[in-house]
Amino acid sequence: MSINLDQAQQTFIVEARELLQAMEQSLLQLESEPGDQNAIGAVFRAAHTIKGSAGLFGLEPIVSFTHIVEDVLDRLRDASVAVDATLIAVLLKSGDHMLELIDVVASRGEALQTPALEREAALRQALSAYQGADHAVAGVPMTSVVNDTQGDVLWHLSLRFGVDVFRNGMDPLSFLRYLDTLGRILQVTTLTDRLPALDSWDAESCYLGFEIDLRSAASHATLNEVFDFVRDDCEVHISAVDDTPFETAPGGTELVAQPEQLAPAPQRVATNSEAKPRDGNYVRVNADKLDELINLVGELVIASAGASLLARSCTNDPLQEATSTVSGLVEEILDGALHLRMIPIGDTFNRFRRVVRDVSQELGKDIDLLISGAETELDKTVVEKIGDPLMHLLRNAMDHGIENATARREAGKPSKGHLSLNAYHDSGSIVIEIADDGAGLNRERILAKAQERGLVATGAQLTDQEIYNLIFEPGFSTAEAVTNLSGRGVGMDVVKRNITLLRGTVDLDSRPGQGTVVRIRLPLTLAIINGFLVGIDQSTYVIPLDMVQECIELDEPQRQSSRDQGYLDLRGEVLPLVDLREHFSHEGPPARRQNVVVVRYAEHKAGLVVDDLLGEFQTVIKPLGKLFGALRGISGSTILGSGAVALILDVPALLSQIVQLEARTAQAPQSPSVVVR
Amino acid sequence: MAKNVLVVDDSSSVRQVVGIALKSAGYDVIEACDGRDALGKLTGQKVHLIISDVNMPNMDGITFVKEVKKLASYKFTPIIMLTTESQESKKAEGQAAGAKAWVVKPFQPAQMLAAVSKLILP
Repeated sequence: MSINLDQAQQTFIVEARELLQAMEQSLLQLESEPGDQNAIGAVFRAAHTIKGSAGLFGLEPIVSFTHIVEDVLDRLRDASVAVDATLIAVLLKSGDHMLELIDVVASRGEALQTPALEREAALRQALSAYQGADHAVAGVPMTSVVNDTQGDVLWHLSLRFGVDVFRNGMDPLSFLRYLDTLGRILQVTTLTDRLPALDSWDAESCYLGFEIDLRSAASHATLNEVFDFVRDDCEVHISAVDDTPFETAPGGTELVAQPEQLAPAPQRVATNSEAKPRDGNYVRVNADKLDELINLVGELVIASAGASLLARSCTNDPLQEATSTVSGLVEEILDGALHLRMIPIGDTFNRFRRVVRDVSQELGKDIDLLISGAETELDKTVVEKIGDPLMHLLRNAMDHGIENATARREAGKPSKGHLSLNAYHDSGSIVIEIADDGAGLNRERILAKAQERGLVATGAQLTDQEIYNLIFEPGFSTAEAVTNLSGRGVGMDVVKRNITLLRGTVDLDSRPGQGTVVRIRLPLTLAIINGFLVGIDQSTYVIPLDMVQECIELDEPQRQSSRDQGYLDLRGEVLPLVDLREHFSHEGPPARRQNVVVVRYAEHKAGLVVDDLLGEFQTVIKPLGKLFGALRGISGSTILGSGAVALILDVPALLSQIVQLEARTAQAPQSPSVVVR
Repeated sequence: MAKNVLVVDDSSSVRQVVGIALKSAGYDVIEACDGRDALGKLTGQKVHLIISDVNMPNMDGITFVKEVKKLASYKFTPIIMLTTESQESKKAEGQAAGAKAWVVKPFQPAQMLAAVSKLILP
């Protein structure tokens, strides 16, 4: 039978990775609380499930290695082995190795490379110290279906089914049918001699026996196996009738198994961890399907906006009411659909426990990681992509932020360093905080370095905040010695760029001697944007609402002066202007009245000159095709209720264009003191 | 109408493999991720055969089988236990609880089908 298991194997890979993740967490939990039975149970279950599933796919390397791990864990569960630091370290490494083995399967690789094999040998060696003396030889019995071809034999089977056979869920008839698939049933005699008188007859009991003649190529053992499930309370005699008996003793073999004395089920597997919500009722859905759904819902939003618009244009009250109900529902559907993509950040956070443990050991520092807000939900894409920047920030904090124990004691701080990861909602966005209680940033050193690199003009007056944020500039690294961990050329500027790509922002706050806090602010979702609609000519543009600060009307005298100077006097502040009409080459005379939308991104502010202000609008972002990739100042598009296309402005790009322009025209920048890119 | 088989296992890859095998043989498959989930799936539809893992979170297989045996409408439903531990103790526990059939993991899909077809027809 050919059954295609490829897809199931993909599921196995995903599942095994998740299990290993869970196993790692439980091991770390076990390290801090060695007696935690739940954690032991969880670790065991993870290894156990991986081994079981790997066996289904015939992944022998995984099975044989995991078997040893499971064996050790079983002893841990029995309390024949005690939890100690070495064991945890070996088990963590074993988990890593299992992941490696699974990666080989995932990448359809041939086998492990020599270094990995050497690691495996070392691990096996280390694990064997914890195995019992009588441990089973690695490997699992892989019983295959016996398919003997020794020519047909005539068998005689005597079956006496037990009275409870129905109650045990067994149907004698289905065994007979199954026998028929192994050979040809020549004759069946039903024995009814045990049938009681009608008044004592129980319809739920079985009183039948069968005498069967079967011609089959199957071996005695195979036939015997057929009745495995009813062995307990049935009498089965199988004998060869022909003169070519193979392994049957003359007169047939007694195959009645003694009903085993069954001990009451010991409740040792009491690892029903109520506290694990992820064991709940989940449906695994392909992310593409979700994206498709969200895309469709987006279309629905647009279509329903179109319908409302039409309804409003024809004066039909019931119709308007109906469309407004539809719009309300569509909005709810949209919220629900977007929620489907949201996953808690906790899994990403928890992965860092191991990182912090390993890195702190490597650095010889004692560092504790505190996690809060793990349940905060974020768009799946954001969660996937935020891992690397977070990892970099954490490593930085451990490497450069937190001092070694001696320095900490001298500074009057506890020798154990603290690192915290926190996530929370804040007005429509998600904030992730990475805080350490280390030495803080060195203001002078950063400033000196920035001046040396030409990032800051000498003599410029910068606030502390501005100076600290200089470390996010490209080509900036203050570490004096390049350590193994950070400072490998991938700087904080990459962190910032990755976060910006997610439409997020990052800023940093530091207090000398007390520590540093990095705050990453991310949008709740990447698919929807709260926009502010503006009109130029006949076209409509969308400005992300969170960047809009205020709107002002541009009157005639201001218009003249601003056109000449390119900036506006906003309550004594210099506000550079971008005339979008000009920027996007709209032809025709400017409108009689113009407005300025003041936008802000990071520390830059500018005014966008537009014709009309059309109000707020929640909209679904449609990415632009590759063809438009080179367009500057546009980040995407959306479709309005009327069916018209509106372009979404890329405010950060527009702002950096202005800043560049200024830097070029004004040789010595006076007022905007920080030069960006 | 094809017969319904309820596959209870916390490992979705196991469920998938068993599901693929059973569907190829003409059974309909219902999946559940643990005993608690499975009990919910037993109501509202007729399940003709149950295949259950032992070691599962929330409600383990043995407890689940005991619960099934309490249900009047599942009095005669065959139950196959999946055991990875080829140890007799688990099998014995399962049998005591009422799951008289078993398949030892890891199994080939054909082995599973053989066990199922001893008990019910598609």
